[in-house]
Amino acid sequence: MQTTTRTNLRNLGFAMLGGTGVALMPLASALAEEETRYTGFYENATHVRDSAGLSKFRNTLQLNADRALEDRGAFRNIKFHGTFRGSYDGVYDLNSSEYGSGAGGAITLENSAAGNSVPHGGGLQLPYTFDPANNPNEGMLVLGERLHKTRGGVAFGVPVRPCDKDSRGCIDDYLDADSNDLRFPEFNERLDFIRELYMDFDHDLPNGDMVSWRVGKQQVIWGRTDLFRVLDVINPVDYSRNNIYDELEDIRIPMWIAKADWRMGAGEVFDDLNLSFVWNFDKFRPHNLGQCGTPNSILDAACFFRGMNNLWENGGTVANFAGASPAGGVATDFGPGQIGIRKAHMPSWSLSNTQFGIKLEGVYGDLGFSLNALTYRSQLPSLRGGVPGQNGFTGEVAPWPSLIAFDIHFPRVNLLGGSLDYYSQAIDTVFRFEVAHTSGEEFANTLQSRLFSESDVTRYVIGADKNVFIPFLNPGRAFLISGQLFGQHIHEHQEEKRAWGKAGMPDWEQNWIATLLFKGWWMNDRLSPQLLAAHDFRARATAIAPSVEYLFNDNLRIIAGANVKVGRGAREYDDCRSCNPWDPFTSAGQPEGYTLGLGGYEPLGRFRAGPIGMAQKEDELQLTLRYSF
Amino acid sequence: MKNNKNTFRLGVLTLALAAGCAQAADETVIEQSFQPYAKNKPSFAGLSAGMTINQGNVAQFKDILDPAFYGFIEKGWAELKVGETTSFDLHPNYVEATRQGMDKIQLGAKPGEIKGWVAGRPFPQEPDVNDPRAGEKLAWNYKYGYNWGDSAAIQPFYWKFRDMNSGKVERTIKFNFHFLNFTGRVNQDPKPAITPNPSDLFRGIYVNVLEPHDVRNTQLLIHRAQDDLKRDNSWLYLGFQRRVRRLATGQVTDAFLGSDLMIEDFEGYNGRISDMKWTYKGTRFMLMPFYNHNDLSLDSETHKDSEGYQVVAFGGQGGCFPNITWQLRKVYEVEAAPVDAGHPLAKRVHYMDAQTFTVPRTISYDRKGSLWKTFTIGQAHPDHHLPVNKGSGVSIDDSFSMIDVQAMHCTSGQFKGVVDAKLSPPEMFSVQHMRATGN
Repeated sequence: MQTTTRTNLRNLGFAMLGGTGVALMPLASALAEEETRYTGFYENATHVRDSAGLSKFRNTLQLNADRALEDRGAFRNIKFHGTFRGSYDGVYDLNSSEYGSGAGGAITLENSAAGNSVPHGGGLQLPYTFDPANNPNEGMLVLGERLHKTRGGVAFGVPVRPCDKDSRGCIDDYLDADSNDLRFPEFNERLDFIRELYMDFDHDLPNGDMVSWRVGKQQVIWGRTDLFRVLDVINPVDYSRNNIYDELEDIRIPMWIAKADWRMGAGEVFDDLNLSFVWNFDKFRPHNLGQCGTPNSILDAACFFRGMNNLWENGGTVANFAGASPAGGVATDFGPGQIGIRKAHMPSWSLSNTQFGIKLEGVYGDLGFSLNALTYRSQLPSLRGGVPGQNGFTGEVAPWPSLIAFDIHFPRVNLLGGSLDYYSQAIDTVFRFEVAHTSGEEFANTLQSRLFSESDVTRYVIGADKNVFIPFLNPGRAFLISGQLFGQHIHEHQEEKRAWGKAGMPDWEQNWIATLLFKGWWMNDRLSPQLLAAHDFRARATAIAPSVEYLFNDNLRIIAGANVKVGRGAREYDDCRSCNPWDPFTSAGQPEGYTLGLGGYEPLGRFRAGPIGMAQKEDELQLTLRYSF
Repeated sequence: MKNNKNTFRLGVLTLALAAGCAQAADETVIEQSFQPYAKNKPSFAGLSAGMTINQGNVAQFKDILDPAFYGFIEKGWAELKVGETTSFDLHPNYVEATRQGMDKIQLGAKPGEIKGWVAGRPFPQEPDVNDPRAGEKLAWNYKYGYNWGDSAAIQPFYWKFRDMNSGKVERTIKFNFHFLNFTGRVNQDPKPAITPNPSDLFRGIYVNVLEPHDVRNTQLLIHRAQDDLKRDNSWLYLGFQRRVRRLATGQVTDAFLGSDLMIEDFEGYNGRISDMKWTYKGTRFMLMPFYNHNDLSLDSETHKDSEGYQVVAFGGQGGCFPNITWQLRKVYEVEAAPVDAGHPLAKRVHYMDAQTFTVPRTISYDRKGSLWKTFTIGQAHPDHHLPVNKGSGVSIDDSFSMIDVQAMHCTSGQFKGVVDAKLSPPEMFSVQHMRATGN
């Protein structure tokens, strides 16, 4: 029955696609009739990072093509749009010792029980250990070393060179970029140089309403929030370009989507009412978290993953592990297939793996609103334990409880949410509200034997925008002041105090991030300085990004800025060294699979430090030059 | 009994005569309001069509020039070519709507309140200097004027930011502007109002920025309520954000996209009547920028299209003055002083064209009372413009120049105004339209 249903759904999907294709055929034939309008830009973005030197030398060429077509039968407002983007980031050639083929080197790992450090491969050998010939001590960094010292915690070597130079730890189909993938990120098997390619058309309904279609590779944006993605979750995001700091328009990863807006317009009650259907029929793509060894790896997650996959594939030395207690531990050599990340389960294309959303949006006087529902695949990875691993002492392969051996999954997530905006005449301020409640998200959890658990999550943003004249600064142009408070609440949050520290879910049960934008304009808007700041309350980390934009003319724009982080950096959390998976060999007296909460910065502290805290050592000066045509 | 009958007949006759006289009086009001040049064309000693007023002869014409433009010519910044005074007949349906509304419309107790208006010019009577609210009535005539008819589009619309000293064009923004009246409609179906209209909107303005790249795809939607005391609702679609933001609309004195225009300056005045104290200063005959577009020497560079349409050329100091002709016209001088003491202006002086109730000249004074900006909106006759505009009865906004004399900077505007209902359908004035068309 299930198979039949799936087959029918698949056929329906193909039928819809086919129908769309048929509908577009006469339109496509009309393309030659009218002129295409081309626009575009060349941009150079050069960033210099404290202690690392050049961190970006990205040269982007983008071409946009637009063509409006004459009405065809029942179809009108027919338009075609394409955006094509190619970029070359020279940082991998110009600063290859930091980010390219020459990055990394030989490492030593802390061995706190002896009060020293040992080279990779020089730890305590388990009966089933690894062969350093398969995992040599070269081209590596110690996990997290750019942000913090090991300080008695877990650490291991992380290969940092592009995957064609060093394939260790490269996870197939997920984090496996070679040198050219990094240099030329759009030229890949997903044809990312075709950034957008879609057709718009409208047709009327018998009752006078109209339906607006957009079909093709596109970005679909929900919500009313800047910087944060509460409802704006349809497209995954490429954080490798500039962490969380680039405009979302430039870092959303466009997907092949069919969108239909049933535009009911004004009625007796609402000034505008619209029902939108979104079908993302593209093959699943996760966020691009960056790759270990590249300048932008949000949360440094890619290094964690690469190091863990290397441990699984080749084995390796882990700092302060054997006999670990608050007093210290012994650097330990694990064999392959014992701990680490085994593989990533990338969802293949199937109808059931496509994503579907509905949005009802309208305007009621001074109030705008939307109600949103979306079923999608999490674009963030979930590490699920329970992977059968080899007992380093006995050689037995089994799914040991609380063993730090994972597969990466992208679970199905269902979202319900809504948004509001309201203009208060009394104080001349616009308020924005956005909320999303999801089910199906998964979080690391050291209290669970598979080291993860599922939880409902509520995220929300309250924002206010106000234009204010400050006459002594600029009598003719108001300043924009925009503030937002983003909150996240994990409903099934678990945490316990154990003998050696807290254990459970490293993510905060509740956390808030506030942002403030202060922007002004001078010289007829050709000079525009701004200050953008974000503060993560629980991580106690702040990012401050002042910048000045100057337009030389209609074509040439320069933006000079800085990105500085202050506050607390790395945070500590239970690292599961005291989880006792291989009882009795790993026991400190606790039962099998029971953590005592011994922790350090790695690997789970990153979820408490957040993207700002984890980037504390990534202060930058940034210069962007764009020539538009 | 006979006497009674005679008395009755006399009464009926008196009433009929009174009604007839009233009708005749009303018709005279209509005639004078909409056809001020039917019987006599204005004249001024030494002024003739075809002549040029320049630095050498401007003193002779001081009485028919506003003080700001007189100063410009006196400094040699501009010359003014004189054309024949011509009638800019508004659409007969608008005139008829005015006729139907005669004597049914009253101001409310407070500025910004009006009762009984359906369509047409609300107060066609000559303003009375002894009427303390005469200025306010003229402001209503402007607000409910046939400015762009029931709907129209300016597509495209070029704004150039110019350094007035060097003449350098710093920036060129290319827009499409669309206007739609939800109420007071006299010509395009549905009449007199588009329904449903749950928020009781009077007018919608939709703007789409085409160039340059950094602001391309910016869209602006303004909903103006029938209730003048209510602020506009506005939304902005930013191309680089790909989403619609509701705007705080209180700061209508903010420079629009860095131009020399406040949002409040659009079309002469783009704010609430209740935001100003309006004072009628008198009726004058003045030289005003009214012309036949097709008779001008036009700008062949800025805009080219398959229709062969060209926009108005600019010259003079810094390229800030439209190369147009001016004609002697009947003008109401109205002063508008902001109610809000925090407003950057002390006052605007509007020179309203009596026949069309457009505002082709405005002078703005800063808080210190010094001349700050002057605004010229060139008015083109619809019968000498694009073929589609012929017979539309719309005085076509065709060129503008906003000069900031303190900053020696100006913004010039070059229009392709099209009065065609198909270009501004009601669905365009919805928030969803911005989302559906934005990219």
